[in-house]
Amino acid sequence: MTITRILGWLAAIGLIAGLAAGFGYAPREAIQGNVQRIMYLHVPSVLTSYLAFGLVLIGSIAYLATRRAGWDRLAGAAGELGVLFTGLTIVTGSIWGKPTWGTWWTWDARLTSTAVLFCVYVGYLLLRSLIEDPDARGRYAAVVGVLGAVNIPIVHFSVKWWRALHQPSTILGPEPSPIDPAIGLALFVNWIAFTLLFVYFLSRRMEIARREEQM
Amino acid sequence: MPANWGYVIAAYGIAAVALFGYWRHLARRARAVAARPAAKGRRA
Amino acid sequence: MSYARRAWIILWKDFLVERRSKEQLNALLFFCLLLLFLFQFALGPDRERLAAALPGLLWLGFILAGLLGLGRSFLAERENDCWEGLRLSPGDKSAIYVGKLAGNCVLMAVVEIILVVLFGVFYDVDLWTPAAPLALVLAIGTVGLAAVGTLFAAMTTHVRARELLFPVLLLPVQVPVLLATVSATQALLLGQPLADVAHWLKLLVGADLVYVTIGLLTFEFVLEA
Repeated sequence: MTITRILGWLAAIGLIAGLAAGFGYAPREAIQGNVQRIMYLHVPSVLTSYLAFGLVLIGSIAYLATRRAGWDRLAGAAGELGVLFTGLTIVTGSIWGKPTWGTWWTWDARLTSTAVLFCVYVGYLLLRSLIEDPDARGRYAAVVGVLGAVNIPIVHFSVKWWRALHQPSTILGPEPSPIDPAIGLALFVNWIAFTLLFVYFLSRRMEIARREEQM
Repeated sequence: MPANWGYVIAAYGIAAVALFGYWRHLARRARAVAARPAAKGRRA
Repeated sequence: MSYARRAWIILWKDFLVERRSKEQLNALLFFCLLLLFLFQFALGPDRERLAAALPGLLWLGFILAGLLGLGRSFLAERENDCWEGLRLSPGDKSAIYVGKLAGNCVLMAVVEIILVVLFGVFYDVDLWTPAAPLALVLAIGTVGLAAVGTLFAAMTTHVRARELLFPVLLLPVQVPVLLATVSATQALLLGQPLADVAHWLKLLVGADLVYVTIGLLTFEFVLEA
């Protein structure tokens, strides 16, 4: 059995464990009710997307430095997954927000930053899809990848200060505080599951890219 | 506090569709790449 | 040939080309006039609403004009087969980036001055009193816009769907610049002193430093065939 398949099975087990933890083990949250269980999707999604974009940055810099195709495959695969998980973050966050805040969307700091992040990396994938020459694609994508990653803290601060102008009141974070240890454990299990799934997807996606380049 | 199971099911449903869909997308692509003639040779 | 001299040659060449043909600048300036009408018609005759939206409209105007003007930064090189010439020129390629960036800043400055004057006249807004701090905000914000715009323009010159890809790549990255400049502009137009917007200025200067540095470091990778 290859490592990839093992990862796949581990991810599957992890996801089932996560579901069990989220619905069986963790209690119904006092204030938000059952809707809080969406956090077992939302928080692991956003953490996974950060992991993905971190790998895009590493792959981009490494490709520009070494020009080895493997780094560009990493960046491309991680970028694809980053968009997937960021999209999932936004959707699950929005569904959580409707019963909690009463609205599907609000321009609060975190949602806005995440939406901008999503747009940056969709552009990244679009750029990659429009260039056929692997070397040019790797170089150009790497430049956008580096710029996009370095821009993240700049976006974070600008959005935070921008929101402070319009809404001085605090917004409820997704995690209740203080965190019930059972909820904390369920979050942890789901986070591990998502990370395993991410690594599995990454491994498969990179293998596909490697095979396609051989053609 | 209403049960709001509808929202929970919607969120988990969309997540399942997205992740399972991506898995199937990967499987399809892997099959397409394997089916191409391997005789094309390796890139330098 | 020194770095500064090579950058200057690029800037001077673009200036001469533009001065002879004037096509790009004239079209861009006319575009600004059209934007004025567009905003007026979109927002209706309510003067209060227009005045309230003014900082945002001003920067929307800059960005729209910038998308058109910046996106074409390297078009001349591409159309006249001069790209190879750029690639083969000796020395640090980032000098070309500096020259192009300077040229784009000058272009944006002209566009912005025209737009500010047009806004002041057609929308009957006092833009003269806060002119000095406003100019500072405009300058710092424009460098950020031009720094990334010049880099991405070089990148998209040879890519399919260039006119679509350039805005798609540039706009998300420019969100912080837009937020900072509009907030700062709004505060200045309301008569607040420059000190009140110091944090926005610091953010913009920081962002500018980051964008220009990345441009300088990565331009040679973009310039390769």
